[in-house]
Amino acid sequence: MGKVKIKKKETRIDMTAMSDVTVLLLTFFMLTSTFLQKEPVTVITPPSVSEEKVPDANLLSILVSPEGKVFLEVTGSKDSTMKSETVRADLLKNMVAEYKKTHPSANLAFTNKELETFSKLNAFGVPITKMKEWLNLETDVRDKALEEGPGIPINMNEDPNNPNEFQMWIRAAYNSMNPELQEAMVKGRGIAIKADQTTPYSVVNVVMDNLQTMKMNKFRRNKIWQLKVKVVRKSSIPVSTSLLWLT
Amino acid sequence: MNMLLITFFMLCTTMIKSQTLQIALPTNEKVEKEQQNKVKQSEAVTIIIDGKLTDNGLSDPNEGMLFYYDGMPETSNLANGESNMKQIEFGANTGGAYPAIREILQERNKEVVLKIADLKKEWKDMKFSKNEEINDSIYQAKAKAIRNDSTLKRPVVIIKATPNASYAHVVSVLDEMQINNISRYQIDRINEVDSAMMIMVQAKNLKK
Repeated sequence: MGKVKIKKKETRIDMTAMSDVTVLLLTFFMLTSTFLQKEPVTVITPPSVSEEKVPDANLLSILVSPEGKVFLEVTGSKDSTMKSETVRADLLKNMVAEYKKTHPSANLAFTNKELETFSKLNAFGVPITKMKEWLNLETDVRDKALEEGPGIPINMNEDPNNPNEFQMWIRAAYNSMNPELQEAMVKGRGIAIKADQTTPYSVVNVVMDNLQTMKMNKFRRNKIWQLKVKVVRKSSIPVSTSLLWLT
Repeated sequence: MNMLLITFFMLCTTMIKSQTLQIALPTNEKVEKEQQNKVKQSEAVTIIIDGKLTDNGLSDPNEGMLFYYDGMPETSNLANGESNMKQIEFGANTGGAYPAIREILQERNKEVVLKIADLKKEWKDMKFSKNEEINDSIYQAKAKAIRNDSTLKRPVVIIKATPNASYAHVVSVLDEMQINNISRYQIDRINEVDSAMMIMVQAKNLKK
């Protein structure tokens, strides 16, 4: 009887195709994505049918936490003409000048190092008198202090001659050395309000009222369309069928 | 190695871009009576959004009530619970429920909505141009002209919200403006007459 010959199988697999694919995937991710920005509060913005995108340059975002804390984020232009870092450093200098108008005796001065630290931060929101102390903290302690801190002081104030700190920041941003941001604010695409969907209207109203007082009446309401939400909304609002009852 | 890098990028980056909605608010300055934009009574619709606060002081986006009235508030017989304010369920944002306010707004904006529907049909059949992009842009321009056509009967919607309403409520009512092609709307502050009417309407509905 002849023996059945069992073929010895090759145990090695050709990996070339797989590594090709992974390199492609990697390039895809590197090119298409942007890094997540650190934000002091997690905000789930409400879904909407609007398809307008948030501008990614020359924007002052007002981040409103559900509890009513207010933080600010500032971005400069996309190209290198007005970098975010320059805009932010100017903003802080302007803010000091604004604050001294109503508090002439305040002892506010920032060193170049502190200005540099400030210019690298994406979001901020501490009372200006605590700013110096906050900037000199270690990075992770600083993030925690921002999260647990009170945010930018804000109250109902309709007197533009006696602005609160939030209004001073808005004015400082408007007067910053960046003509592009100024123009965007005038045209109504420079300010975005980003609030959590559970935020009570009383909180949002304070922010809007402050902007109305500063005559920054045109602004964007910011929200994120999560992919999931988009699908749900699309199937739940069939605009064409909802028109049927009329015809 | 490659896999590690891919995982890193997937965790640390985002591809979602936020979307926005532009609104304009009236100024806080005192405006002289003569300079105020007067709205025809027959065109005005006031919508008031009310929400419900949860125990932790946040507003629940799934619980909400809408109140609306046409023209001026009618308060001559308010003590007996009679006014022209009506109460409806919010309906929006609850996963597919039909927003009740849409019917009301479409009824008020009938002329524009019908014209836009006709226009949409032509756009679907590519009547403006065989080129998709040109077709789109002509449609957009024509739709805008219809929305702003002053010969048509168009409502002016005044949106008010109580402090308990959530941000999500306000955004979904603003969405309704877009869906129903309403070109004139404004956010305003709630006043005493509105809240008095709301209390009376709610009390009356509870009795039923």
